[in-house]
Amino acid sequence: MLRSFGWNEIWFIVTAIQWTLILSAIAFGGGALGGLLIALSRVSRTSVLRHAAQGFIRVFQGTPLLLQLFVIFFGLNAFGIVVQPLTAASIALTLHASAFLGEIWRGCIEAVPKSQSEASWSMGLSYRDRMRYVVLPQAARIGVAPTVGFLVQLLKETSLASIIGFVEITRAGQIISNVTFEPFKVFSLVAALYFVLCWPLTLLARRMERRFALSGRS
Amino acid sequence: MSPSSNAAAASSRSDDRVAVRMEGVDKWFGDFQALKGIDLEVANGERIVVCGPSGSGKSTLIRCLNRLEAIQQGRIFVDGIELTAGAQNVEVIRREVGMVFQQFNLFPHMTVLENCTLAPMRVRGMSRAQAEQTARGYLERVRIPEQADKYPAQLSGGEQQRVAIARALCMSPKLMLFDEPTSALDPEMVKEVLDTMLDLANEGMTMLCVTHEMGFARRVADRIIFMDRGEIVEVAPPADFFERPESERTRAFLGQISTY
Repeated sequence: MLRSFGWNEIWFIVTAIQWTLILSAIAFGGGALGGLLIALSRVSRTSVLRHAAQGFIRVFQGTPLLLQLFVIFFGLNAFGIVVQPLTAASIALTLHASAFLGEIWRGCIEAVPKSQSEASWSMGLSYRDRMRYVVLPQAARIGVAPTVGFLVQLLKETSLASIIGFVEITRAGQIISNVTFEPFKVFSLVAALYFVLCWPLTLLARRMERRFALSGRS
Repeated sequence: MSPSSNAAAASSRSDDRVAVRMEGVDKWFGDFQALKGIDLEVANGERIVVCGPSGSGKSTLIRCLNRLEAIQQGRIFVDGIELTAGAQNVEVIRREVGMVFQQFNLFPHMTVLENCTLAPMRVRGMSRAQAEQTARGYLERVRIPEQADKYPAQLSGGEQQRVAIARALCMSPKLMLFDEPTSALDPEMVKEVLDTMLDLANEGMTMLCVTHEMGFARRVADRIIFMDRGEIVEVAPPADFFERPESERTRAFLGQISTY
């Protein structure tokens, strides 16, 4: 039952791009939300929040993403909660992205000079208004390039979801490789597809970095 | 006046005469004591210049008045409200106290107009139209109405500092604090900022200025406060301060700064 590596097989892999993109989008969207909460907690004056956020970051930065996937996928199933591979991968990657984006953005928030907060305090701005109008917009400019850089990393990391059976491009490649016995060709194609997705993002990150480096003059 | 009636006057809001009152204020940065037992009363409409060698605590003194610095001991009243009696009061006082910083501290991602309208809209609840009208009025008064739509980085240092003054005035503060407002400026821009401050003084604004501009102090100040090593060493009207300084430390300071 050996199949040849033809257009149908190539098409099967190419269409799996949508699942790689969907998983990336979920993880990035969820991670952005979670990351903002983590970053704000890390710079909070409430020590409970600070410590909780730090603990969260330690756990998710200090363990391999693959094991986080396993723990969530098999762990939830072991407790009788049936989760689909997409759900498990989404949860794991969201938590992972929250930790990393949280730490990246904390750095960006702290890179906004304290004098900006002092000016805000001196005018009586509330915490919310200070963050919303003064600190976060400036932190966002600093954060664009590293954030896009992390998105590239995240997109590649979705390949790990193949191991719990989620059919994105890596898993699609495995399936085709198994039936064609052409692993070199198949995985070269898969790698090329990741490159096509990531390269423009890398260029974008570099361009934004340069743009903000220029406009960053005070 | 007996001490008890003094205290009663200070803690009541009805005394409109007193703008600022500090009682036995101590401030520590770790092991370093920045302020030592500061007692000070500033009347409404009074213009005070605070001077002294660097590290003497003069910036710390005025930064305590809107709680950019917390104090460890003593009490501070601003506009009759006790600053040191809870976070609620801090917010109330900050609305009424304007501050101008050495490095301007304008918001670089906002235009001049946006810098000036943010707090009036968010804190005072003004409409945009109202806030912009007020802001343009103050930009006119600091003589840069044409710069309203520029970003801070497009302005000279002197212009940025005048924007910072206008921004503070847009909140209609009862008291203005100046923390070395001309120290970061190129020499040719010092005068335009001092002129703006002079205008403000002439209009009766209560002002506390930390500055090294002794010409300004002589011309504008009702009283000059000389600080050294965290203490108020001498408080005197300019004439007495410059001609008949009482303290040896004041004389030494004046001797050093007026050499040229």
